[in-house]
Amino acid sequence: MPVHSAGPRLYRSVPFKHLVKKSGSTAGQRAANISLNLTPFVDMMTILVTFLLMVFSSTGQLLQAQKGLELPIADSHDTLQQAPVIIVTTDEITYQGQLVATVDSVLRDDSPTFKIDALFERLDAAAKKIKEDVGMGKLPKDLAKACEDAKQNIRPQPGKICPDGLAILQADESTDARLINKIVNTAKAAGFDNLLFAVKNK
Amino acid sequence: MGAAIGTGDGKKSVNVELNIVPFIDLMSCLTAFLLVTAVWVNIAQINIQPKGKTRDTTNVQQDDEHVTLSVLVQADRIWVGLSRINQFQEIPKKGDQQDWERFENTLKENKASAFFADRTDIEVAAESTSQSKVEYQDIIHAMDVAVKVGFVDVGLTDPNGLAARPSL
Repeated sequence: MPVHSAGPRLYRSVPFKHLVKKSGSTAGQRAANISLNLTPFVDMMTILVTFLLMVFSSTGQLLQAQKGLELPIADSHDTLQQAPVIIVTTDEITYQGQLVATVDSVLRDDSPTFKIDALFERLDAAAKKIKEDVGMGKLPKDLAKACEDAKQNIRPQPGKICPDGLAILQADESTDARLINKIVNTAKAAGFDNLLFAVKNK
Repeated sequence: MGAAIGTGDGKKSVNVELNIVPFIDLMSCLTAFLLVTAVWVNIAQINIQPKGKTRDTTNVQQDDEHVTLSVLVQADRIWVGLSRINQFQEIPKKGDQQDWERFENTLKENKASAFFADRTDIEVAAESTSQSKVEYQDIIHAMDVAVKVGFVDVGLTDPNGLAARPSL
């Protein structure tokens, strides 16, 4: 195998002969170095970085996209905060990623309790745990202050709501209102009396 | 950073070549990071308090002191009602969509009235059946309009739990 000296080299198979700098070469020889015009590349990168920095969100993505879930659109710009998530897609209801019930079964159910039992069990357990954590002071300072404010009926700042009794409902825009009513009633019965409806900005 | 390019005739060069390799490295890393962490859909929230009675509740204490502004969203119309006075305004559907413009104006009129000038509470309910379905988007739209008008304390309730419910 032939040994070549180190350094940039233009392969013969690559048709870049027009890029070869002729002025710097010695008489009668082709230059080995080529010069690429990087200006458009740098321009593109600068524009791309500027755009990405503008759309960058420091709060991150709290919710995950799911199949059969298109969030409703609203004007509201209040920031979403961390809380247990109830997801309602076109087919199923999940709580914290675990299947609770199917939409059809809930809509067919005409029981007089008017709540979703499987969801109630999970929400009830979660509400008790959150209440315990709040009681033991396992909260960041700003949220602990929000809980103190809530006791005095002071309106919380968006994104700084006391986690005690707070849940997020992420439902598909075409969900039947009967289902929403049932979920809201279930959440209220379990102690979640503050619901955040996740929406898409216009 | 910069290196003067010699002209070869003994004079000091006027051209400077910047080494942009570190700059390109930085830009490449930043672009990759921002592309990976980019959030393309901005998600916001509407905060509501579930209220009113449910089928589990046998007795609900009515607040007789205040007039409550109630909104009932149905498949083909929206009702805006005042409790105690039992005054209702019907806003029929316009084409295949609810008449959101008229709904907003109605809420604005109520907000400007003496009853609600210093109040921010409102209750919203949606009445849906298998034949005439009310979609979640309509509830969100109604609550969004209410928040925009100034009724930021939105309570979502069962249609039977509304303080003012139109009887047909």
